[in-house]
This record gives sequence, C-alpha cells and structure tokens, in this order.
Amino acid sequence: MWRSAFAEPSMPKDPETAGQQDAPHTLIPFLQSQSQTALTRLYTRPSSCLAIFRLLGPIERQIVMSLLWLEGPIASQTLNGWVTKEGRKPYGTALDTLSKIQILPNPGTRMLLNPNFKASFRMALTGGGDLNSFGVPYVSSKEKDAERDGAGDKKFGPNSEHLDSYALERWETILHYMVSSGTDSTPQRPSAGVLYLLQRSGLMQPLPSPSGYSTASSRKTSQLQISSLGFQFLLHTPHEQLWELLLQYLKMVEERQMDLVEVLNFLFMLSTMDLGREYSPDNLTQTQLVMLEDLRDYGLIWQRKSSSKRFSPTRLATTLTSSTPLLPSSGGGNTGPQGFIILETNYRLYAYTDNPLQIAVLNLFVHLKSRYPNLVVGSITRDSVRKALNNGIRADQIISYLVTHAHPQMRRNNPLLPVTVQDQIRLWELEKNRLKSADGYLYTNFAAQADYQVVLDYAKQIGVVLWENSVKRCFFASAEGHSNIRGFIERRSKDEQM
Amino acid sequence: MSHLSLLLDLQPAAWHDPTQSLQFSTFLAHILVFLNAHLAQKHENSLAIFGAFPGKSIMLYSSIDQTKPADRRVQPDPNWYQPFKTLDAALTERIREEMPQPSTSSEAEELPVALVGALAKALCCKIIQATKVEAPSDTPVVMPESRILIVSVSPDAAASYIPLMNSIFSAQKLKVVIDVCKIYGPDTTFLQQAAYLTGGSYIRVEKHESLLQYLMMCFLQPPSVRSLLAVPTTDRVDFRAACFCHKDIIDAGYVCSVCLSSGSDCF
Amino acid sequence: MVMKAVKGVLLTCDAAVKQILLVMNEAQSFIIEDLDDFHLLIKQDEEDRIRRQLETELEKNTYSLD
Repeated sequence: MWRSAFAEPSMPKDPETAGQQDAPHTLIPFLQSQSQTALTRLYTRPSSCLAIFRLLGPIERQIVMSLLWLEGPIASQTLNGWVTKEGRKPYGTALDTLSKIQILPNPGTRMLLNPNFKASFRMALTGGGDLNSFGVPYVSSKEKDAERDGAGDKKFGPNSEHLDSYALERWETILHYMVSSGTDSTPQRPSAGVLYLLQRSGLMQPLPSPSGYSTASSRKTSQLQISSLGFQFLLHTPHEQLWELLLQYLKMVEERQMDLVEVLNFLFMLSTMDLGREYSPDNLTQTQLVMLEDLRDYGLIWQRKSSSKRFSPTRLATTLTSSTPLLPSSGGGNTGPQGFIILETNYRLYAYTDNPLQIAVLNLFVHLKSRYPNLVVGSITRDSVRKALNNGIRADQIISYLVTHAHPQMRRNNPLLPVTVQDQIRLWELEKNRLKSADGYLYTNFAAQADYQVVLDYAKQIGVVLWENSVKRCFFASAEGHSNIRGFIERRSKDEQM
Repeated sequence: MSHLSLLLDLQPAAWHDPTQSLQFSTFLAHILVFLNAHLAQKHENSLAIFGAFPGKSIMLYSSIDQTKPADRRVQPDPNWYQPFKTLDAALTERIREEMPQPSTSSEAEELPVALVGALAKALCCKIIQATKVEAPSDTPVVMPESRILIVSVSPDAAASYIPLMNSIFSAQKLKVVIDVCKIYGPDTTFLQQAAYLTGGSYIRVEKHESLLQYLMMCFLQPPSVRSLLAVPTTDRVDFRAACFCHKDIIDAGYVCSVCLSSGSDCF
Repeated sequence: MVMKAVKGVLLTCDAAVKQILLVMNEAQSFIIEDLDDFHLLIKQDEEDRIRRQLETELEKNTYSLD
C-alpha cells in the first residue's frame, strides 16, 4: 500500500513557469458567471476594459486586438486561417473564454466584438471621453494657485517607498495573524472586516476548544485558527493571495447590498492608477466609498486619515493586473522572491531570513532550534511534520513550499530537495493514514448467486461499490447509494412476486 | 513580458511628399495607438523608440528609463491611462523637436537615413537590459521576449550592407526577432534578409489607410504567440549580397576563401 | 429476494493494523464482521474511539532520537 511512496520522487517543477502561462486568471471564471447585463455595464468604462484585457491570455488578447479596429463583422473562417496546427486547441479555448465573458459573442459564425467593449477599449487606447474612469487626481487649492503662478508641484503626497512599506505592513499583519493563530504568540489583530473575510473564505475557522466543546469565553473572543485551505493560501505568491481574498470579497458583495459592477469598476480603476499620486474621492459612488475603507484595511489604499479628502493606491493595487508581484520583499532584508531555505539530507534546515512571517510559516512544520540575526536553524522531525499533518496540511504542500523557497545554492542540486527527506515526509503522511474508513452498508446473505450478481452489477453501475467478495456473496457500498440500491431490490422483489 | 523596440524611418523627403496618400500626422496617430496597444498587453511590457534621421539616429523614448523627472510633469488625465499619455506626449514632442524641416538644407536630406545606427542602438539597449537583469543573482532569470520593428520608407543604402549584416548576426545571437513594415518605396533586399534571418516577418503595406490593422494583426503579437497564430511571412526573399568593393548588389561574384567576403568582377 | 443489509463502517487497513484491531476487539467488542485480510466492518459509533486507541497503540512503537 505504501510502496508508492518509493516511486521516483516527483521532479520539482519550476515554480516560475509551471501553470502560470496556461491557467486563466482566477477572476475570469468569476466574470463568466456574471449576467450579460452586468458585464455589459462593466464594459462601458475604459479602465475596466483595459484591466480585464490584461487578465486575458496571450491568444485572447491577440484576437481582441485583431478585431478591435474593424468596423463590421468578419467571417470566422477568415481568422481561422491564421491559426497554425498547434494553435487550434488553444485558439478554440480562447474563443470560448471570450464568448463566455461576452467580449466576443457568437464566435461560431461571424466575429464582432461586444459594441460596448469595443467603444470603451478604443477609448482607453486613444484617450478621450468624460467618464473619469482612470481616477480623478487630487488637486489641493494651494496647488491650484501654485500652478497658476507657474511654480512646480512640490507636494506629491506620500512617496512610493512609504506606500510600499505601508502596504507590506498591512499585508503581513494579515498573513502573520493567520500563521500564528493557534500558537501562543499574540500578533497584532487585523481589523474586524479582514477577520470576517478570512473566516468567510474558509482560510480560517473558529477554534474548537481542545476539550471538544466550545466554552462561553472562547466563543466570545471568537478565536480563529488557520485551516488546511489557509495553509495552502500561505504557500501561494502574494499576487495569488491578493486575488483570492479579493475574489472572496466580490462574492460577499451581494450580501452586503453592494453593486458588483461598481465594486469591479473601482478595483479596475485602482489597477490603472499611478503609484505615488493622490486621487480625489469626490467622483466615487456610495458603494465605492465603503470599499475605500475596506481596501485600506487590506493595504491596497493609503489615506493620511480616514476622513482625508484624498487617497493613494499602493503597489498592491497598481499591480493587480500584472502577473508578477512587485511588492518589495518583506522584513527589510533583500531575500525577495529568491529562496532562503537550505535543506540537508540529515533533515536539518537553515533558513536565511529575519522575517517573522517566514519564520512563523516555517514553524508550522519545522522544529526550530536556534535563531541568529539573519539565520534560523531547525530540523524536520517526525513530531513537527505530524503536528502540521494534524492541522490539515498535506505532505505535498510542505514539499512544494520548500521547493518554491529553496535557496539559490540548492538550485544546483538535482533533484532539488534531498530525496530521503521528501520520501520521509510522504511516509509520515501515509503512516497517519493507515486506517481508511467509509460509512455505508454491507449487503450479505444473498440466497441466490443470480440475485447477488444483479444487485452488484447495479451498484457498480451507479459507482458506489467499495469492496466485494463473490465467494462470500457480499459487497459493501457507500451510504449515498443505499436508497438507490434498496429501491432497486424492492422493484425486483415485486417483479418476482408477480 | 515582452520588449518592443520600434525603429522609425524618418526620412523627411518621403514624409513631406504631398503626393503620398499617408500623411505624417495620420501615420504618427496610427503608430501611437499601436504602441499603446503594446503597453496594454501586459503591465510589464516595455518599449523603446528610435528615430532614424538623415545622417543620425536618436532614441526618442524609452519606458525603461523612468528616472527622467520630465515624465512627472505631464498632467494626469482622468480619462486616459497615465503611461499612454506620458508616451504619446513625449514621443510627439521629441519628433517635433528632431524632425528636420524639408526646406532647411538640401545637403542633409541627401544623406541616407541612419537606420543601421538606430538598429545598433536598439540592440545595445537590449544588451544593457540583459546585464542589468542578470546582475543581482546567479540564477538565470526569465528574460523578456524582445523584438524590433522597423518601419521603413526609404530604399536600401548599399553602403550599409556590411554593418547591417553584422547587426543581424548579433540580433540572431541575442534571439531578437526583427520585423519589417514597409510603407513607401521599393522593397529593400537587406531588410527582407534581416527579417528572414531572425525569424521575423517582412510586410509591405499596400493600403495605407488600414496601416493600423496591419500593425495590429501582424506586428503586435510577441514571438511566442506566433507559433500559434501565424503571421504572414515572405516566401520570396532576395538573397543577393552587396559586393565588398563597390557596394553594388550583385547576382554572381567572387568569394574570398579566407574571409568569405563577396566581390564583383574587379575583385 | 432474500438478503440482508448491515449498516456500519468499512475499515481498510494493512495486515499489521488489522491484528492490533483484533486484539483491541477482545477487550471491547466493536467488529461486526471480519471481511478479509485488509477489510473490517465495524459499528458506526465506535470509529472515533478506535482511531484514538490505535493512535496511542502505534505511538508506543515509534522511537525518536531526542
């Protein structure tokens, strides 16, 4: 059963290239599920069109661009002629995606872009219109005077370094809170809105008290604990994490009686804004003013005071539609997207970091022994991995985290991680799963072989058989199939009687 | 991410010719929309524009070099994406500054445009970019896909054959694709070869009013997408070389067995 | 048609774990039917207890350096 663990260790995939090119952006499926009218409204704003366009894949973008400047529809065969043999399949999926988000309705016969999208996107490229969809810059009365006098603009609001550190601090507060939940340390709590979002998205769950029943006091403080989903979340890149949270935010929009289109428009507007510039909230709708507050908590927007009459997007916001997160690395040290972990065959782990968040993540599955100004030393032990497994973390997730954050020195090794350690982590996981269980019914004591065979065949047909033994004439089927099987047997018994 | 270097052949004689169907202002408008479309593709896409004037070549705009405080002076427009506006304003202004007036001097106009100079500058930028990216760490970093689009209006300058070939070879080495968009004038043998040898496409714009559509369909996609959505390529390429001695294009000639340079009868 | 359906939980395990379970069964019975070398049918409400007890039993057989 656990022989499979010794099968060749999976080759570490390059985390940079794997999947990123092929998988559509997480927002696209969400847009696909929206109604046609909502999408059409969304496409009336140039900034939204530009942002959505950037989230599309390369082939989709090229199709849009090829059709954008044509006045009339063209036959789909014309464009098909451009597709190479290898391109057929991706081209088909691209057309499908475009038609689902209503940018290119009915690509089967004639190709014509959604008229709203076409007009707005053209406007985005050439400039013009009066929708203010790229944000109205804030101009103070003093500056207005200064401009008239011909003086340069001295006051530029916060500089980008300040915004970066603010965004980072906000974002790490959230992650740090997640990772150290359930431990003794009490990090700074994010705002109530963030906590609610974390709980709703299933990244964190209310902490069950160790005795099995929740006491009144624990319910009052609403202790949250990171879930298995939450750990997976921590392993993602900041950019994916951000979109995951925003997607959850979008899903909550309707409950909060907010207009989804306005919410999306605001997000897209932020993504096209200029870093380090201040914008005026005067043109925002009521919904968007509420969002301003929420996004400030997530670190997407900076405001001097909550009552301030201007706001600045941070790098988290302005890079929403880019594929690489440009947020400078955390903790001041320049560890960056480069890895920092060295793992040896003797299970010892050296992490060159001083970032409390990274250390806290490691602490989830590593037994940390000593700590120096820029280095943490620990080892992967059975107990530390079991602790992680008990929290719902999977062995594959631990291994993929180690691969993603491996130190450049480690990258010379092939395979990247020591095989012994990889296998041992998998074996520890299998050891925990020595017992598998399934609810259901055992069907036994069949009087005739024919009866047994007929019922078994039926159960197999609906795919609920978990175990069978024809010698003993019995089989076990999962609980979901029971009512069907019982109905089947009753019908047959009735037929026999008649 | 992808990097586009655009080389504009700004031969005043060709652009100020009133008999041509495509006015310079219209041409520039089409080019600007095309450049915006390139920047729109991806947040990380970068851009460098070079102008080839008679006898000189100038870098007109670079999106990588953001240190210039001049960019900040462009007033933000709530109806337009800021990078587009910066680009359009900067490029239009630079061209107005640099474009020689047709009447000023007849001497300067007779010089051939320094297309090769511009090409060499574009390749140098690519090398500088590459060294900058690789400097901080010893791990290989994904380099941006790079390509060069030459918008050509003037005929071949036979004297530039050898420097052009050298540029083509270094482009091959750097894995830079060279595309050529020919608007006016006779087909240029050398640019055809440049496109052919680097895997780019050479396209002659027949209908000038639909220049933008040509640009969008043929020159917008980065090389990685071209394997899926084909771009027309020329199958008839004139492979004739210019001789070393007189810089004439020759059908048959002599080849030096040591340096492989080709020569005409008097060689 | 004559047959019988028995409600329960199907446990899938390896031979070693099965032997431990059989010993545990002698102390407090929970097995409904011994199906084969790798499968057992047990009473539904006993599963959690069995898992906990098995865990402590298996822990007795693991040793660590520190």
